[in-house]
Amino acid sequence: MLLREVEYARPATVEEAISLLGSYEGARALAGGQTLVNVMKARAAAPDVLVDLVDLDELRAIGFSADGLLEIGAMVTYTQLVGSSEVEVARPILAEVAATIADVQVRNRGTVGGNVCVADPTNHLPPLLLALDATFTIRGSGGERTVPADEFFVGVYMTAVGEGELLTKVSVPPSSGAGDGFAGLTIGKHGTYVANAAATVSDEGVRIALGCVDAVPVRASSMEERLGGGDFSDDAVQGAAEGLGASLDPPSDAHGSGDFRRHLAEVSAARAVLQAASRRKAA
Amino acid sequence: MAAPAASHGVSVEVNGEQVELEVPARRLLVHFLRDDLGLTGTHVGCDTGNCGACTVHLNGEPVKSCMLLAVQADGARIATVEGLAADGELTALQRSFNEHHALQCGYCTPGMLMSATALLERNPRPSEEEVRVALQGNICRCTGYVNIVEAVVAAGGGA
Amino acid sequence: MTTVTEQPARTLEKGYVGQSIPRKEDKRLVQGLGTFFDDVRRHGMGYVHFVRSPYAHAKIVSIDVSKALELDGVYGTITGDEVAISTDPFFEMSVEPGGNIKDYALAVGRVRHMGEPVAAVCAATRELARDAAELVEVSYDELPVLVEAEESLKNEVVLHEDAGSNVVWSGVFEWGDVDQALAEADHVVRIERLHFNRFASTPLECAGALVEYDRGTGEWTLHCNHQMPGIGAIWMAPSLRVGIDKLRFVTQDIGGAFGNKICLHPQYVVLCLLARKLGRPVQWTEWRTDQHTANAHGNERTFLDVEVAVRADGEMTGFKVRALDDCGAFPRYEPLGCIIWAQVTPGMYGWRNIKVDFTQVCTNKSPVSPNRGYSRMQHLWLTERIVDIVAAELGLDPVEVRKKNYVKTEQMPYETPNGCVYDSGDYAAALDIALDLVDHGSIEERRREAASRGKLLGFGIGSTLDSGTNNFGQSTLLNPDLQFSGNNEAASVKLDIFGEVVVTLGTVPQGQGHETTAAQVVADILGCSPDQVNVRRGHDTWFNSHAGFSGTYASQFAFTGLGAVKGASELLREEMVQLAAAVLQAPVEAIELADGMARIKDGPEEAALPFMALGAIVNANNAFLPPDFNPTLNHRYVCRPYFGMVDTEKKTGQLTLTYATQIHAAVVEVDPDTGEVEIVDYAAVDDCGVRINPQIVEGQVHGATAHAIGAALSEEFVYDEEGTLLTSNFYDYHVPHAMDMPPLKTGAMESPSPVAPLGAKGMGEGGGGGIHCICAAIQDALATAGKPIVSTSCNPPHRVWAMLRDPESSRAGVAVVSK
Repeated sequence: MLLREVEYARPATVEEAISLLGSYEGARALAGGQTLVNVMKARAAAPDVLVDLVDLDELRAIGFSADGLLEIGAMVTYTQLVGSSEVEVARPILAEVAATIADVQVRNRGTVGGNVCVADPTNHLPPLLLALDATFTIRGSGGERTVPADEFFVGVYMTAVGEGELLTKVSVPPSSGAGDGFAGLTIGKHGTYVANAAATVSDEGVRIALGCVDAVPVRASSMEERLGGGDFSDDAVQGAAEGLGASLDPPSDAHGSGDFRRHLAEVSAARAVLQAASRRKAA
Repeated sequence: MAAPAASHGVSVEVNGEQVELEVPARRLLVHFLRDDLGLTGTHVGCDTGNCGACTVHLNGEPVKSCMLLAVQADGARIATVEGLAADGELTALQRSFNEHHALQCGYCTPGMLMSATALLERNPRPSEEEVRVALQGNICRCTGYVNIVEAVVAAGGGA
Repeated sequence: MTTVTEQPARTLEKGYVGQSIPRKEDKRLVQGLGTFFDDVRRHGMGYVHFVRSPYAHAKIVSIDVSKALELDGVYGTITGDEVAISTDPFFEMSVEPGGNIKDYALAVGRVRHMGEPVAAVCAATRELARDAAELVEVSYDELPVLVEAEESLKNEVVLHEDAGSNVVWSGVFEWGDVDQALAEADHVVRIERLHFNRFASTPLECAGALVEYDRGTGEWTLHCNHQMPGIGAIWMAPSLRVGIDKLRFVTQDIGGAFGNKICLHPQYVVLCLLARKLGRPVQWTEWRTDQHTANAHGNERTFLDVEVAVRADGEMTGFKVRALDDCGAFPRYEPLGCIIWAQVTPGMYGWRNIKVDFTQVCTNKSPVSPNRGYSRMQHLWLTERIVDIVAAELGLDPVEVRKKNYVKTEQMPYETPNGCVYDSGDYAAALDIALDLVDHGSIEERRREAASRGKLLGFGIGSTLDSGTNNFGQSTLLNPDLQFSGNNEAASVKLDIFGEVVVTLGTVPQGQGHETTAAQVVADILGCSPDQVNVRRGHDTWFNSHAGFSGTYASQFAFTGLGAVKGASELLREEMVQLAAAVLQAPVEAIELADGMARIKDGPEEAALPFMALGAIVNANNAFLPPDFNPTLNHRYVCRPYFGMVDTEKKTGQLTLTYATQIHAAVVEVDPDTGEVEIVDYAAVDDCGVRINPQIVEGQVHGATAHAIGAALSEEFVYDEEGTLLTSNFYDYHVPHAMDMPPLKTGAMESPSPVAPLGAKGMGEGGGGGIHCICAAIQDALATAGKPIVSTSCNPPHRVWAMLRDPESSRAGVAVVSK
């Protein structure tokens, strides 16, 4: 409950933040704090320096890039996502899912950047952003680079953001008629996920990403292949999901065995795809 | 606060009054309010940010004060339960809690009131479901939420 | 054979009693002006953090506090070795060998559950105490860990060498002739194993205290949230080797307790020792993870080899069972749980032949504490599971089986096979109300509709009793050497010099609204308004308004607490009337108390004395009173309920006095793909006799229902084989939030108790009705999917899914042998 001694800094610009993160070995970025403060309370991790990103307005913008990508600043809160007209127009599934994260108080502080950088396997956004084919812009003292979702999530609590670097924005293709879906089982309403899946069905085909079953979100590639023919009837989707679990090795814990999660992965994937297919707009 | 330091002077507006104090960087906002400022109406009910007993308003938004460091509140406006009733005159919501028996032990009550007050400021006539969503981050172990939800709906002029 | 002594229940004329007046407590609480123990500050106080064992079972090899002491701002430390020298082990209630367990305030030589306090550090700030605790170096030699009660029974690994066995208590209870009943039965239903899971009510405010020591008088003052100071002092004083009056308990507002704040004496003794050793006030706040890991769990109970005798017409004539109770690392309030279930031996039913072979063992898990519904809930769950499994296996309607077997209202007061007396109630009528509230007649139609959406709908009933007003003599059925019997509670009522009525209670409210209900009772007796009655908050030893068993627990406030208030108020009233008669020079019979005045009935307006006048006379202007009349207007009354004496041979007796009824009914929809259970309709019907404040009663029903829903669907303390608690915070130990609660319908009946002073039975614990009906509803929902048997009390999705996937395994332990 009580934190170890720590130093705190509140930079005024992104450059200052990056400089601080690069200068102190045990420095961590403090975004919404809805995970980091808990971790520090449990003394599971004890950064030496907290670099508070609160004043970095540049990271709070939601807008569109020149080629129409929806750009979401890393410090955008879940509440902002839920209330954003840009998101509603371009990719409403983001707001829909964000609205189910924990509760109002958490949503007022928790950020998109925090959700993805924490890379907890049970977090909501990683599998969703993988399914949406999002890209992640990382800035460091050497410049900026953009990384696709399947390279961004590296391991449990590990991402491509290195020491002295900061995630600045997440870019999501607009739906352009694609249908998106998200399904799973939580511990209580709006609780932590036990298993989840995100799917998007478009003219390009179907993308399915599973959360909670591995260190990072994983694509259900064989299921995607089986649905390549474009038949999204109930039977076809359930049939395509069969056997998905067998390819996974999910953890066992108080909320379910590996077997249960294998089963839930199949159920969630099917439900997410059916939801996505039903929302797809005719070409 | 551009340079890292283990303690900082903070300037915070709390319930309309300006407070200036030197605080350790590691001090949680809830402990700053309770221990440094003596505002013990905000409560601690858990150690993982789930229960919401510590809910206050930060710049008008409900947040869990156990999930914030006091230094993060520098330059901000904080409202706690003590600031609701001006001069002992209970708000309509506080009166509604009393009328509807929306509290038993009273421990979750300050957090409930802060979450519900924020809701009513944005949505003056919430439905029962909207109230439940707004209070999802506030755990109660005594009431089963039944009368709390009723009290908030009633305060909003609903059924 | 016990006799029932009926106490005349004087029905007060309907005044404030019976009305849902808004609570007096609320004004301060809605303004955040309550005073909970952590709000109390003392100059120079130190903050305490406990160093806790990371192992479930280990020998303590060494403890080195030197680095902690070097830290700037650390005031001092204490370890188990010091505790073993300066205190005696806590008094144990069991017989040998369990009674030989040595339980100290800190671990001495060995740790027996993860999180057990091993040392304590005191420092200038909370954070420093936490930092210093990390610097205490403890080395351990791990020992094998016991997390299964059935394993523990083997005694291959023994937790307490002083006992030499893991068995805390063991005994057989037998009434009637169950073997005969089984022989004569048309059907014998066998259930191999049922398991009531480990959970607790987890009050939102954790435990804690601020303790001051006065070196001049040797007295400690504990600003705390102990909900039963009577027993707290009984444990602590001898341990500290002081007289009981050296311990002053002061409670103010308490953030819920539900029985989880009864066994706080070990931590409190540590605080007392530190306060004395360091010469300053010391404060400890328990954090949530500490509470889940190391404070108070509810009893975990396994029921084995159940056999039920059933006649062809559906009448159940008896049952036998082997019960194995897991009390965790230390018994403390146990083994009382080994007898308290017997308050409701037959549950709601009329069977006369019952055998319970009961054993309680220690394991390397958190010690238990009387959790809401204590011990009766587990047993009532058993009886309700029996009824539903019997009904399912024999193809009977669970409603009809209940109505057939319920104790009938005409039989009230009803003596159970072990001599308890159900005072009043109409179970069938209460069930009908519940059925009506959930529109039972439409269940089959709703089942079909749900099926069309791919959901399995189920209906279940949970009937339960909330037995209240304990006879502590029940403990002698476990240990005949214990010097406990009866019960008591005190209250004081006085009239102040300015006419204010002041009430002090012996009870320790944690949200039950005692200030309000006590004021209602007093107001009616004294003829004033509850606003004129000031009920002092909380419990204070120095109020001198308490008795040996004072506290708030066991659903008895309406009987003993209000009984004491009533008694004291009546004494006060009598004096006020006599005084008014003397002053107004009228006969006593002509005086009435009304509207805050003592006046001559139908007399002239001037023939009236406001309370203030009475108070002033006695306190400041009393010379004219005759020498033989010495009114004090200050009365303390001890309510002592009458119980028959218990028979330690036959293990019979009046173990409790009142029985409130709660009938719960649930309609659930199960998602067959995920095992998720959604409650789509729910009703709880309560009959606690006369309701002093119906809104407060209903609030208790809501709260008990929420606790039960949590326990039935998500709340479980789960351990791994190393004795690590996997559900130690609110992420993993999911309690109902606002969105998790179904719409709740409530109904009420009033069957006044013939034995309670106000006709009001204790209520509040609830008896776990929600757990029973949700288990029943899940079993009913899954009936079309292979008829699995619900054999655990907690059924989160993974368990429901297991039943759906392999119903045969769940049925493996159930068999019916029919003639």
